[in-house]
Amino acid sequence: MSGGGATIGKFTVLAVIGRLAIARLAIVLAATGAAWAPLHAQDRATIEKQTSLGKALMERGRLDEAARAFTAAVRGSARDSLTARVKLGEIHWMRGERAAAMREFDHFIDVYNQRGSRLTSRELTAVGIACRYLGEDSPELFKDALKAFDEAIARDPTDLEPRILEAELFLDKYNNADAQKTIADVLARNPSEPRALLALARRLANDGEPGAMDALRRALEADPDFVEAHVFMARIRLDAEDLKAATDAANRALAVDSAYAPALAMLAAARLLGNDSSGFADAERRALARNPHDGEFYATLGEVMARNRFYSRAAAFARQGVERDPKSWRARGLLGLNLLRTGRVADGRQELERAFAGDPYNVQIKNTLDLLDTFKDYTEVRAPHFVFMVEKNDADLLALYLRDLAAESYDSLAARYGYRPADPVRVELYRSHADFSVRTLGLPGIGALGVSFGNVLAMDSPFGRKVGDFNWGSTFWHELAHAFTLGSSDHRVPRWFSEGLSVFEERRARPGWGARVTPDFLAAFKGGAVPPPSRLNDGFTRPAYPQQVIHAYYEASLVCELIARDHGTPALVRMLRAYRDGSSTPEVFRTVLGTTPELFDSAFDKYVRERFGDRLAVVEPLRLRGDPSDASAAARAGDGKFAGAMREGVAALRAGREDEATRLFQQAKAMFPEYAAGESAYWYLSQLALRRGDTTAAIGELKPIVGSNDTQYEAHLLLARLLESRHDVAGAARVLERAMYIAPGTAATHEQLATMYATLGEWPKAVRERRAVVALAPVDRAEAFYQLALALHRSGDDDGARRAVLQALEAAPDFERAQKLLLELHRSAPAGAERVP
Amino acid sequence: MRFALLPMLLGAMIVAQSRAPAQDPATGRAPAAATHVLIVAGVGGAPEYEQAFYDDAMRMAEAARTASSVPDSAITVLTERPERDPRRIAGRSTKIEVERAIARIAKAARSGDVVFVLLIGHGSARDGHSLLNLPGPDMSAADFARALKPLSAQRVAVINTASASAEFIPVLSANNRAIITATGSVMERNATRFARHFVDAYAGNVADADKDGRLSLLETYTYARREVAREYESANQLQSEHAMLDDDGDGKGTAEPGAHTADGALASRLFLREGAAAANVVAGATSNDPRVAALLHHKDSLDAKIDALRRRKASMDSTAYEHALEALLVDLATTNQTIRQLTGGTP
Repeated sequence: MSGGGATIGKFTVLAVIGRLAIARLAIVLAATGAAWAPLHAQDRATIEKQTSLGKALMERGRLDEAARAFTAAVRGSARDSLTARVKLGEIHWMRGERAAAMREFDHFIDVYNQRGSRLTSRELTAVGIACRYLGEDSPELFKDALKAFDEAIARDPTDLEPRILEAELFLDKYNNADAQKTIADVLARNPSEPRALLALARRLANDGEPGAMDALRRALEADPDFVEAHVFMARIRLDAEDLKAATDAANRALAVDSAYAPALAMLAAARLLGNDSSGFADAERRALARNPHDGEFYATLGEVMARNRFYSRAAAFARQGVERDPKSWRARGLLGLNLLRTGRVADGRQELERAFAGDPYNVQIKNTLDLLDTFKDYTEVRAPHFVFMVEKNDADLLALYLRDLAAESYDSLAARYGYRPADPVRVELYRSHADFSVRTLGLPGIGALGVSFGNVLAMDSPFGRKVGDFNWGSTFWHELAHAFTLGSSDHRVPRWFSEGLSVFEERRARPGWGARVTPDFLAAFKGGAVPPPSRLNDGFTRPAYPQQVIHAYYEASLVCELIARDHGTPALVRMLRAYRDGSSTPEVFRTVLGTTPELFDSAFDKYVRERFGDRLAVVEPLRLRGDPSDASAAARAGDGKFAGAMREGVAALRAGREDEATRLFQQAKAMFPEYAAGESAYWYLSQLALRRGDTTAAIGELKPIVGSNDTQYEAHLLLARLLESRHDVAGAARVLERAMYIAPGTAATHEQLATMYATLGEWPKAVRERRAVVALAPVDRAEAFYQLALALHRSGDDDGARRAVLQALEAAPDFERAQKLLLELHRSAPAGAERVP
Repeated sequence: MRFALLPMLLGAMIVAQSRAPAQDPATGRAPAAATHVLIVAGVGGAPEYEQAFYDDAMRMAEAARTASSVPDSAITVLTERPERDPRRIAGRSTKIEVERAIARIAKAARSGDVVFVLLIGHGSARDGHSLLNLPGPDMSAADFARALKPLSAQRVAVINTASASAEFIPVLSANNRAIITATGSVMERNATRFARHFVDAYAGNVADADKDGRLSLLETYTYARREVAREYESANQLQSEHAMLDDDGDGKGTAEPGAHTADGALASRLFLREGAAAANVVAGATSNDPRVAALLHHKDSLDAKIDALRRRKASMDSTAYEHALEALLVDLATTNQTIRQLTGGTP
């Protein structure tokens, strides 16, 4: 903090006290006129104070006064006049006076070119800020901004300002990795630096990591008037659909600067989500009063709407942003992304290309355009109500299952919810998880398996992950359920309820699909780490420990189960309709369930304790301590009697004490019979039974795994093999049928299932499996087509059989068995059928 | 007349016949060329690899013995630990034993015989040169080139399934030699999976793509290559081995060779598993019966037409193509059926 003359002592003290105190004192000076009087006297000391004064006024939204102070600093050639000048440019920018702002910023190019080597760190920082704004018109200047910040850092490594600005620029461009490095540098030097803490919160939130709220709280503790932090708090609260808390946070920012547009955008969004259209209009009017060309205001609204799953509204706001400010590349990018999310791929691409031309450093937009370039490798598979976008090589195989699964799920969900999404539902399956992630967020790294934008679903393809990582059938069903719950509630369904219903529907679709109770969930519940239903959104949007998001899905499904138990399944549908009609959650609980969220919390707590009483007794409570991102906190959930029995069982098994291992695994199983995931007691017991040659016992242990675990491929194959060995072909076929939703890419398994269906006389399914073998492009194509032809022939489709056998013979013209079938088909062709003589 | 037709009917056999000493008066065909098999399993370095190399070597030997009817005396297996099966393993897979085994084959082999050399194990690269890791000194491609030199009158297939094996192609490439390497570069140094799939092709009945009852080296290579890719893909892993084949003597490998391309032509005519060819009576049919000769002539004409039609497929209307193909295939099926009846095959 620079200062001089009579007030230097005061400002020296202020520098120690911090930014907050400076702002407050400066405002006092300004308000009392004490600052102005010396200015008129052209007192040097006063001139040197004008930039600090201007900044303080600017933070309070008093832009006219701030501009006067900055102007005085510039005219008086204060030592920090370059900082004052860049701030003048920023004031023009905030008012929408783009041309004037750019004139100010453009001056810095000359400054740098003429005096670059003599500029101080602060002056270089001003150059960097100017370049960042100039980058809006000439994106190559974003690089110059980084260069200037780097030089400022080199000039004075103790100056944190350029590092913070650099981190913010990275974050603006969604370059989280570089942002994190810079943030860490700043916090290593000053762990309480508010802007660095805010940047950290943004970075953590962007990456979906725990700890964002903690960083934000620390930022606000350091500077309670930090408007940007309040705005970010409002955004986090809006993500959690806590409109009141979001409104409070926005208002705290507005108490500092009543016309601060980002805060007004949050306030407007909260009001809109709360169906308060006049309140929304008021906030909009206030924002536009400062800057009638504020595209960013609408871009922010669009972003919030998208985060709350209102993708069409998001696109509409983004379009308003573009109309207000055609050079708002953020708004245009959001427009493009949300057009894609609503299925308008060509229009979305066009907008993204324009946004990219304006700002080629936005990683989100670049990634998405790169992804769109890969769409040529995909093909569309059409079915009633659906269009599937599948990678070309996988389309023939997946279409065999997708069509049936889609028809079944659509009919089931349409019957339950009394609603049909507009045709067609677009389903995109990505072979690369990174591509799916980019489709969803514009960035890689998403932990989810699928996403629903309403009528547009995107998910990992069965080949996008390792076998056993997920069940693509249940994932599809889950996402499609969102299409129904979002659509039937006009996208007003809260996140927790939509997710809960989707898991609930998974479980109804197939035995074993959907999340099941786990020891770590009960440990978290027992330890009070699981939020009550009334705060369940927090579990999705700002997890307190690494597994909390997973737990939130399960908890949400339990909430739906409890409602269905006590009020009937139709109550779930009535709740959706109430949300659609604009009711808040308390209103929905009151009108549909006759209770309050708080009373429901109590009922839910009782329900979980009653339902899992015995299992709660065998797990140790999870206690969250210290850093919420500490993975070991959740790892402690592995304590308790159940975990102890499992550990001892494994140790006994490794030591060759099989009888003891069997006893311990039986104990573990009795303590927690629902737990069949991974290497469960059931799995170990099945292996021990096989070692004893006791197939019956092995089958008995494997059945619960297959019945309650939708990803353990090995258990499915083993059970099918054992059942077949016991001549239970129908049972074995059922198990392999389920296995196809875990890993559909193994030709041998399709051949096995085809043979089973042939044995059972289920020829249509045998045909499907033979088609699957063909789709997997076997080296022995001729055999694959011949077997398909045989199955088609047996199913009564002789025309299909003829075509298939022709394909077999096309590959191997002298293939004797295929020749015999061809001749047989010709001999049995009905008279008059179109045949080659 | 039948002999005059042979080049047209059995074009695939021309090379073998030209090098075979004489024709069998009983069948009118050249006596089958003898096949010699050398299987080398290198040093494992870890129990699981030693076991895997041993398993692949023994499965391959068994497939040669049973499915391909290669006599025991023509199969040589060398492994890291011959004591595991002294009856079937000839010795330790040291450099000197490998060289001796090749020398023995060179001494026994007649002109026109087929020599298969299957190398299983780890490979490495030193100064850009491929090495097969053996107990004791490793063997380089140049070492193999020297050892194989006496086999100039035989058709030789060398299949190096080891990592970093790519250099075997430029060094061993020659006329009448098919060289397969599991990797396309000496930089591909991770343990490979090619051997297992290559042996699977011979041990199982999964790679005979043209259903002629025989398994060519080209079919085996194609199967193994595709299954390797599929395995990596299924495991969602980046593929770290890219097999190549060279058999036109130019020292340059091809990833996707074909029977009608420069690389692949010889491999399509090298059969380790020919025993089952007898099942395809038509493919090997010979007779002095003029009716059969006429049918064979007709079949030959149909084969040519089918081949020509398939080449035109991309430029044809799909329905027209299907109709034309069906007509030819029905004719071919009927012709083959009649030939089988006349020559005693199962109709």
